[in-house]
Amino acid sequence: MTFKELSNSTWLWILVIAGLLYVAGLAAAFMVKARKRCLELGIENTTIKKVISSSCTFSIVPSLSIVIGLISLAAVLGTPWAWFRLSVVGAVSYELMAADMVIQAMGLNFASAGTQPANVFGAVMIVMSIGIMFGIITNIIAAKKITTSMADYNKKSGGWGAVFSGCFMMAMMSVMMPLQVYNPASGWNFVGTLTLLTSAGIGLLIATISKKTGAKWLNDFNLAIVLILGMASSVLWTNVVGMFA
Amino acid sequence: MNNEKYIKSIHRLGRLGSLGALGFMVGIPLVICTIYSCFPDFGLVIQSGTGLLAMFIPIAISEVFSYAPVLGSASYITFITGNVMNLKLPVAINAIDIAGVEQSTDEGDAVVTVAVGASSIVTMAIIAVGVLLLVPLQPIFAIPAVKTATGYMLPALFGGLALGIFNGRSGKYNIKGKLLGAVPAVIIVIIMMIMGVPLSTYQGFVIVGMIPVTILASWLMYKKGIIKVYEQGKTEPEPVASKK
Repeated sequence: MTFKELSNSTWLWILVIAGLLYVAGLAAAFMVKARKRCLELGIENTTIKKVISSSCTFSIVPSLSIVIGLISLAAVLGTPWAWFRLSVVGAVSYELMAADMVIQAMGLNFASAGTQPANVFGAVMIVMSIGIMFGIITNIIAAKKITTSMADYNKKSGGWGAVFSGCFMMAMMSVMMPLQVYNPASGWNFVGTLTLLTSAGIGLLIATISKKTGAKWLNDFNLAIVLILGMASSVLWTNVVGMFA
Repeated sequence: MNNEKYIKSIHRLGRLGSLGALGFMVGIPLVICTIYSCFPDFGLVIQSGTGLLAMFIPIAISEVFSYAPVLGSASYITFITGNVMNLKLPVAINAIDIAGVEQSTDEGDAVVTVAVGASSIVTMAIIAVGVLLLVPLQPIFAIPAVKTATGYMLPALFGGLALGIFNGRSGKYNIKGKLLGAVPAVIIVIIMMIMGVPLSTYQGFVIVGMIPVTILASWLMYKKGIIKVYEQGKTEPEPVASKK
């Protein structure tokens, strides 16, 4: 049996589908439990519905970009394993790097991997799984402590608690936003900068229209609209920057 | 259900659910290798796995400590389904904004978990459709404009998120001057960039480092009255807490 035959084998399809059904069921269980909790806490059903519809709408475009990753990963690792890896924990950049490390350690490359013996694919699957597990393991050990400590501190701290809990997101943005503008490895990212500013402008415009017209529903879809229009603007900015390059 | 009972129950679900997911992640390769008698040389697995673990264990740990405070009990399903930065965190931030709740409260935790659960299901469904339509979709995703647009997803996303994160609304409070707390962290990040530190490789660590910087800066500004917290509908700021 070859790498390619094993990577599209019947049992792999069956186990992958079983694993994905389990994860989807777990996500549904979390959602149902938390929705019930929202109602107990007095959050209105209409608010919960808004949160769900906005989250679902927003998720479409980033999910499509994962499908693009699926196409490139499936070409190397076969469809079922690529499907599983991109639905559970993985991101295409990590998956390709992990697979490449194993294949290179065997003195092979992606182009020739398909014709290699099946145990090469076995090694790829095992290493990819082991390498990515530690986020989940750390989470099992630490998430409860982190979450409950944060909530307790917030409750005790009044107004400062609101500032404190916002610091985590601000710290993340302080690192991630400059990275969209400049990268030490590749220099200024003019298209990225213009895209970021365009998105922020569109977001502000939608929020203003929503406030002025009373169309609150518009603000619920603000992020989804911003994402699509911001990404579309990057095509325009790429052409504009290209004209001056 | 009282709060303590809910916390116990949701974390039990998270821990057991995570163990089950780990079971599938490790179990699938082992079962497949057993069925098809294709176990690899374990020396090779250790050789290539060690490098990967050395790189990813610190990143995984730093990501949990950076993102779990934002995600709350949704961090279990987030770390199982992945795509934290480009999908789950934006969904969480957006949900907090739409529901008008405060992060790290009982309400904030429940709302974020509903949002991340819904988002995970949608993503899995879209990837499943992508698998079914893999062949017909390939030419569409190969269009240069589509490739360009997807390459700039993160700048588009962070531009859109900036308003939600830096605006002063936080549940029942309005925070004036909140953005100033992030200024020292931004300055440090810019200095690191000028010095050529490869931030994109070590972003998880840098975020962990910038959390105490942002907290300390915000605390000092809060104490000095530069950052002020108002309860919704009130014109007088909340009194400054006497200790951190």
